[in-house]
Amino acid sequence: MQDEESLVQRAKQRDQEAFAKLYEEYFDRIYRYIALKIGDKVEAEDMTQQVFLNALQSISSFKWKGIPFSAWLYRIAHNQVVDHLRKTKKRVAVPIDESRASSDSNPQLMAEQSLDIEQLLSATQRLTEAQRQVISLRFAGELSIAQVAKIMGKSQGAVKALQHSAIVALRKTLLAGTDEEVQRI
Amino acid sequence: MKKSREFNNILDECLETLLTKGATIEQCLQRFPKHADELKPLLETALAANKQVSAIQPSPDFRDRARYQFYSALQEMEHKKSRAFFSWGWQPRWATVVAIVLVLFVAGGSTAAAASGSMPDDPLYPVKLATEQVQLAFTFSSLGKAELYAKLAEKRVDEIAFMASKNKPEQIERTAQRLDTYLTKIAVLSSPQEVTPGVAMAPAVEEAPATEEELAPEEAPAVAQAPLAEQAPAAQQVPAVEQAPAAEQAPVEEQPSVAEQAKAGKEAEGKVDRRAKLEETLENQAKNNTDRLRALLETAPESAKPALEKAIDVSETGYEKALKSLGKKP
Repeated sequence: MQDEESLVQRAKQRDQEAFAKLYEEYFDRIYRYIALKIGDKVEAEDMTQQVFLNALQSISSFKWKGIPFSAWLYRIAHNQVVDHLRKTKKRVAVPIDESRASSDSNPQLMAEQSLDIEQLLSATQRLTEAQRQVISLRFAGELSIAQVAKIMGKSQGAVKALQHSAIVALRKTLLAGTDEEVQRI
Repeated sequence: MKKSREFNNILDECLETLLTKGATIEQCLQRFPKHADELKPLLETALAANKQVSAIQPSPDFRDRARYQFYSALQEMEHKKSRAFFSWGWQPRWATVVAIVLVLFVAGGSTAAAASGSMPDDPLYPVKLATEQVQLAFTFSSLGKAELYAKLAEKRVDEIAFMASKNKPEQIERTAQRLDTYLTKIAVLSSPQEVTPGVAMAPAVEEAPATEEELAPEEAPAVAQAPLAEQAPAAQQVPAVEQAPAAEQAPVEEQPSVAEQAKAGKEAEGKVDRRAKLEETLENQAKNNTDRLRALLETAPESAKPALEKAIDVSETGYEKALKSLGKKP
């Protein structure tokens, strides 16, 4: 993408082309980020739309002081998610059932089976808030560890540790789900 | 502690090369043989999860709707000051609709004009789509909408051809999805239940259902509901209730005058003509567009061919569906 900083400067002056480029660049990623965070693709649609409308309204207040535009935009998306969860009180962190998540499960099974989107969305809901944030920003937001660290206000080491624990937890949840499937069959 | 920090770094390094540089798990394991056993299952999980996350895509309909609203908001803000002149205390809904019209057709005319020739990979393309949405929102009859969708379908085929020449398979797919949506809409809008050339049903089918179905909830009420509320009771229910007791008056009320009959007959004829014309247009488009896309298939880059094949399929089945709905026998 063209130098993001200059695009943002132009967008602040209501330059439509610059805004269009930023919008196209981030639209899908913000949508995926929200869908992964709330585990609901339909609700993610309205919220994504709102993120960009909010960004549009407050772009003039954005100042490029070492904080990338993406961090600012994901912060808006994060606030939107928090607001949504507060209103709906829908999501309650569900701890992973360690007893069911057997590491003896066939490790090939999960790699071989095609992981379903709904399974993944459901599995991410079992992560802690911080783990989910890292996974959403890394995978859906396609951001580097350094960028994630900036957005979350944590050190890169802390984000890497969260990333590790999140993948371990995801694997356990998904394997537990696979075990259930096998038992049902 | 130190060991786990080291492993976190290794895991991230592998993930980075897997996700952004297209490396394989095997390559990562070869780089870190001491950690291979621990790394392998985690990388498999991460890769499978990442694959699914990438597959989460907003639907084309939502994408278009969101663009439309975003660009409307963008342009509305741009012209906020000048719009203050026109604050006549209207309902906000109406004000928004009027603002959009002003922006897209008058104030933002230059942008809209510049966008009209834009292609899907062009930054101004969303403006083009937004302009089309406004046109659709202000086309009230089912037949009128179907005619407009036919024109837009033609544009989408032009865009697919252009994107094929630029080897942009993703844009071809997205545009083909839009083409599919439009052709389905034509089929729905021109179905006999939706557009009946008969006299009695004409006003109802012309104005009510298509507009409601067509517009997003936020857009619909201002345009669609106002005429409905005004027209339905005035034309049908009120006279019937008032005059019901007078038995001898009822038949007189129900019989249209000769002039009204003639007018209704003319309207019905006009509608039949337009349906025939639409049918002819779609027949021509079906043939030309499908032939054109097939010809492109021979010259297009290999990587664009699968998307182009899908577009051909959409064109064939979509036009067939639309023509069938208009009563054309296969």
